Amino acid sequence: MSFRSGVATFAGKSSYWFLHTFLHGGSSLPGKITLKLDPNILRTLGAKYDVIVITGTNGKTLTTALTVSVLHEKYPSILTNPTGSNMEQGIVTTFLNAKNPKTGRPLAVLEVDEANVIKVTQYIEPKGFVFTNIFRDQMDRYGEIYTTYQKILDGVALAPNATIIANGDSPIFHSKELPNPIQYYGFDNEPDSDFKAKPNTDGVLCPNCEHILHYHSLTYSNQGKYFCPNCGFSRPELTYRLTKLGEQTPTSSKFEIDGHPFKIQVGGTYNIYNALAAYAVGRFMDVEPEQISDAFNANQQVFGRQEVIDVDGKRVTIILVKNPVGLDQVLHMIGTDTHPFSLVGLLNANYADGIDTSWIWDGDFEQLTDRDIPAVITGGERYKDITFRLKVAGIPDDKHIVEPDLEKVVDRIKKVPTERVYVLATYTAMLQLRKILATKGYIKEGLGV
Amino acid sequence: MTYELNVAHLYGDLMNTYGDVGNILALNYYAKQMDVHLNVNVVSLEDDFKAADYDLAFFGGGQDFEQTIVSQDIQTKKAELTKFIESDGPLLAICGGFQLLGHYYIGADGEKLPGIGALDHYTLAQDHNRFIGNIVIKNQETGETYHGFENHQGRTFLGDGERPLGNVVSGKGNNGEDGTEGAIYKNVYCSYFHGPILTRNGDIAKHLLVAALRRKYPDADFSQQEALPIPATF
Repeated sequence: MSFRSGVATFAGKSSYWFLHTFLHGGSSLPGKITLKLDPNILRTLGAKYDVIVITGTNGKTLTTALTVSVLHEKYPSILTNPTGSNMEQGIVTTFLNAKNPKTGRPLAVLEVDEANVIKVTQYIEPKGFVFTNIFRDQMDRYGEIYTTYQKILDGVALAPNATIIANGDSPIFHSKELPNPIQYYGFDNEPDSDFKAKPNTDGVLCPNCEHILHYHSLTYSNQGKYFCPNCGFSRPELTYRLTKLGEQTPTSSKFEIDGHPFKIQVGGTYNIYNALAAYAVGRFMDVEPEQISDAFNANQQVFGRQEVIDVDGKRVTIILVKNPVGLDQVLHMIGTDTHPFSLVGLLNANYADGIDTSWIWDGDFEQLTDRDIPAVITGGERYKDITFRLKVAGIPDDKHIVEPDLEKVVDRIKKVPTERVYVLATYTAMLQLRKILATKGYIKEGLGV
Repeated sequence: MTYELNVAHLYGDLMNTYGDVGNILALNYYAKQMDVHLNVNVVSLEDDFKAADYDLAFFGGGQDFEQTIVSQDIQTKKAELTKFIESDGPLLAICGGFQLLGHYYIGADGEKLPGIGALDHYTLAQDHNRFIGNIVIKNQETGETYHGFENHQGRTFLGDGERPLGNVVSGKGNNGEDGTEGAIYKNVYCSYFHGPILTRNGDIAKHLLVAALRRKYPDADFSQQEALPIPATF
C-alpha cells in the first residue's frame, strides 16, 4: 500500500468508526473522504479479493444476498456491500470496513449500480459479472434499456477475462458480441409453442434484424425462450436451467434447477430468477447443488421475506413498487394468494419515487379484477392518479375507499373485511407509512427490511 | 353496446413507453360510458393499415431505437395514414408518434429521420438537455386546461394549418420557445403529454370518441354522448 493509500484508508476507516459509533450511520461518507484523498483507492483495497459484480435493473440486492449465502457454504470469508450502497463511495466504504482475512484469498460479492460498473472495473478486474435483467426503470432518472446495457458494457470492456453469468431469457444480453466467457441461466420448464409477448412489453425487437421476436415460452415481460422467425436469432444455450416450476404462493416457491429440487421462502417468479442467478454463481464457484439447497433453506431472512405487520389483527404486508415490470410481478404474486385479501395503493411522486407517475398505467392492475377484492384503499400525495388507475381497472366505487392521508389509511386498514392486507407503496410513501406505524407502536423505527 | 368503433393502436408493441397504453384504457373507460364498444387492434411492423378499416387511431411514444425502426416501417403506411387523416379520421399521437406524423425528426445520434409529413411540423434535437416535468396548457378555443408530464428531447415547430393543442401555462411545450404545446389538425390531436394524457384530460378522450362516432354514424344523435360529464381526475 502506498503512503497516499495508507493515509486515505486510515482517514476513511476512522471516519467510519466515528460515524458508526456516534451517529449510527456512515455508509458512504467514509468512502467519499477516502476517495478525495486517493481517487485510485479501490485498486489498493480491491487487489486482495476475487470480486463478483452483480448488476441489472431489478433483483440486485436479493441476488447479492443470496449469492453470498450460497458461497458461504464453501468459502469462509466473503465481503459484501450493505443494501443500497451500490455506487462508488458505498463500495469503497465496504472495502474499508473489511477485516483483514486470516488465510487465503477472500471473495467479495458486490451489488453495483449499472452506471457504476465502470467505476469498479477501472481499478479491479472482477472474476465474474452477473447480469440480472434490464427493464425500463423510472425514466426521468434512468435511460432507455439499450443505454443502460451500454453503460454496463462500458464497464465490462475493462475486464475482458471475467466470466459473465447472464439471464439468458433476456434478449438484450445476447445482443452484443463480447470477448468474455459467458454462461447463461434461464427457464426451460415448458414445451415449445409460438407466440409474441403482450403488446405493452419493452425490448421485443430482434437485435439482429429488427423484426418482432416470437417466443416458445415466456415467464414475464420480454423474458423467455425467444426466437426470431425472420433471421433465426434465438435464446443461447443455457448452462443452468430451471427444469420444473412447482407451487407458488405469496410466501414460497418450489422449483427444480438442473433436476435438483429447491424451495425458497418468498413468492414471485422474479425471486426464482434471483435464486437461479445465485445458483449459477454457486455452481460457477464449485458449490454443490445440495449445499445451495441448504443455503436457500437456512437463510430465510436473506430473502428480505416480505414482512408481515400485525395491525390490530390485520396481517399487513407492505411491498415496495417502483417500475412497471416490478409492479406487474408484485400484482401477479399477490394474485397467487388463495385467501381473500384487501389491497392498498399508495402513490407519491417525489424524486426517489420517480416524479412521473405515468408508469402506473403500464402495471396490469386489470389482472386483479377477477379476484373480487372486497376493499381497495388508495392514498398518498398522488392519490388522484392511483385512484383513477384503479377505477379504470374496474374496481367498483362501493369497494373503493379514497384516503389521501396516510394516518387515516391506517385506520381504514383496521376496518377492512379481510385479515390479509397488501399495501403497494412507492418509496417515500412506504417510508411515511412505516413512520406512522412506528409511532403507533406496530413496528420499530427504521426500514426493517 | 349500441355502437362499435375499430381502433388502430399504431405500433402498440414498439411505441409504448411512459404508460402510453393508459390512453387506450382511458378511451375504453369513457367509451363504455358512452355505450360504445371498442375493438382495439395493434398495427405494427409489416402489418397493413387500411384507412377504411378504422374509426380511431392511437400512436404512442417509444424509445429511440424502436422509433428509428418505426420511422422506416411507417413509410409503407404513409398513403393510408394520410388518407385516414385527410378524411377526418380521429387520431391521437403522443411524443414519438407526434414527431413521426410530421416531416422529420432528429434521432439520438444526430441523424435526420423521416416522418410521413401528414402534418406540417418538424422536430429538431437539443444538446444534452430534455424538457422534463409537469406541464399545464390552456386551449384558447375551448377554454379547457390540460395537465400532463413532459419528457422529451425533441423540439417541435408547428407548420401552417396546425393549431397548438394549447398554450403553455407552465412547463416547456413543443420547443421551449413559442409557448405552444401539441398540435391539432382536422381530427388529429398531438401532444408531448404523458400522464397519460387521456387519463388526466378526459375531455380530449370525449372529443376523439364523439368525432369518431359522428364520422361513422352520421345520422345518429350523439347529444347524450357529448353531454357526458368528465369529473376531474387530476
